Amino acid sequence: MTIRPLFAALAVVMLAGCAADPAPNEQMRLTQQALEQAAAVGAVADDVPELKLAEMKLAQAKADMADESYKDARMQAEQAELDARLAEARVLTQKSQEQLNVLNTRITRLRKQLGDAQ
Amino acid sequence: MNRLTGGLLLSSVLLAGCASHPNSDTALQQAGGDFQKVKEDSNVLRIAPKDVIRAGESLARADRLSSYWGSGGDVVHYAYLSQRYSAIAREHTELVLNEERAAKLELERQRLQLALREAKLLSVQQQGKWLEEQIASLTTTQTDRGLVMTLGDVLFDTGQAELKNSANRTVLKIVQFLQLNPKRVVRIEGYTDSTGGEQENLKLSRDRAQAVADVLVDLGIDEKRIQVEGYGDQYPVEVNASERGRAQNRRVEIVFSDDKGQLGAAR
Repeated sequence: MTIRPLFAALAVVMLAGCAADPAPNEQMRLTQQALEQAAAVGAVADDVPELKLAEMKLAQAKADMADESYKDARMQAEQAELDARLAEARVLTQKSQEQLNVLNTRITRLRKQLGDAQ
Repeated sequence: MNRLTGGLLLSSVLLAGCASHPNSDTALQQAGGDFQKVKEDSNVLRIAPKDVIRAGESLARADRLSSYWGSGGDVVHYAYLSQRYSAIAREHTELVLNEERAAKLELERQRLQLALREAKLLSVQQQGKWLEEQIASLTTTQTDRGLVMTLGDVLFDTGQAELKNSANRTVLKIVQFLQLNPKRVVRIEGYTDSTGGEQENLKLSRDRAQAVADVLVDLGIDEKRIQVEGYGDQYPVEVNASERGRAQNRRVEIVFSDDKGQLGAAR
């Protein structure tokens, strides 16, 4: 009778062991992909602070993976993924802004020429 | 949203109570503030609804975790993710809005370009009027056949159909005139004097007219705009008795249509 609670306690300990975070391999892959995508649209860590953050956090996540600190690795990788996605979005927005500026310049030039022509 | 704010407030109090992670309540408040802003922006909701939903989910998770003891790190983490999603939603929105603005500006640019082209064309047409006067001064007869320009005998060698280089200036003016007046067409008519056989003369007159037409085509005038006729020794402008009169009769005439492309009937 006294042995039962002992089993229960053991089971809880074992479960706690099982419940430990698994290696976030999928998240690591996603993060890697997000960084590559940001680089693909022309984001450079020196110009976009979010990408710099993403790179640092990914490096930390890799170190955590090596240490088998999977929870830390996952959190670092999740943050790095969104940092990279934000970096990518910022670069794209900036590019669209530059395109708008070019269009505005052209329109101004056309208006001026039209003014001259009339 | 009020419920969420209430939850935030409550969790702040709880967090202040547990104080397991000093930054967690600030992080939660900032994420909540950012989320509130994107949620109230109709453009963001229209353009980046998924990012807004993820920002809300992460925030709710952070909020839920904040009621547990010892999970301050997780709260900060999910609040961070929520803030990132809000920021991404804003960037995506800005991008799409910029693209929409660009599409509008592009239309405006095309409209202006068209207007400018028309304005330039108008000035070219005014130039065309000047050229028309030039052409008019080159044409010797303004008869019921319309505008007629005569290329004299000197532009061909005797018995030859090849146009001499001395005709270049006149030919270039005709080409320019036709390019500026794209609706006008021409009929090129060849004539000879009465020396030589009838058939020979018909052939020579036609060949000479064709030679002029060929040069015009070579210089870019569509051959559909050019008719070629050979009249031999018919329709003399002078009597063939004198050498001077015969020289006058050896000629190529270019008949211009009006500016709508209406050409007088052939002889």
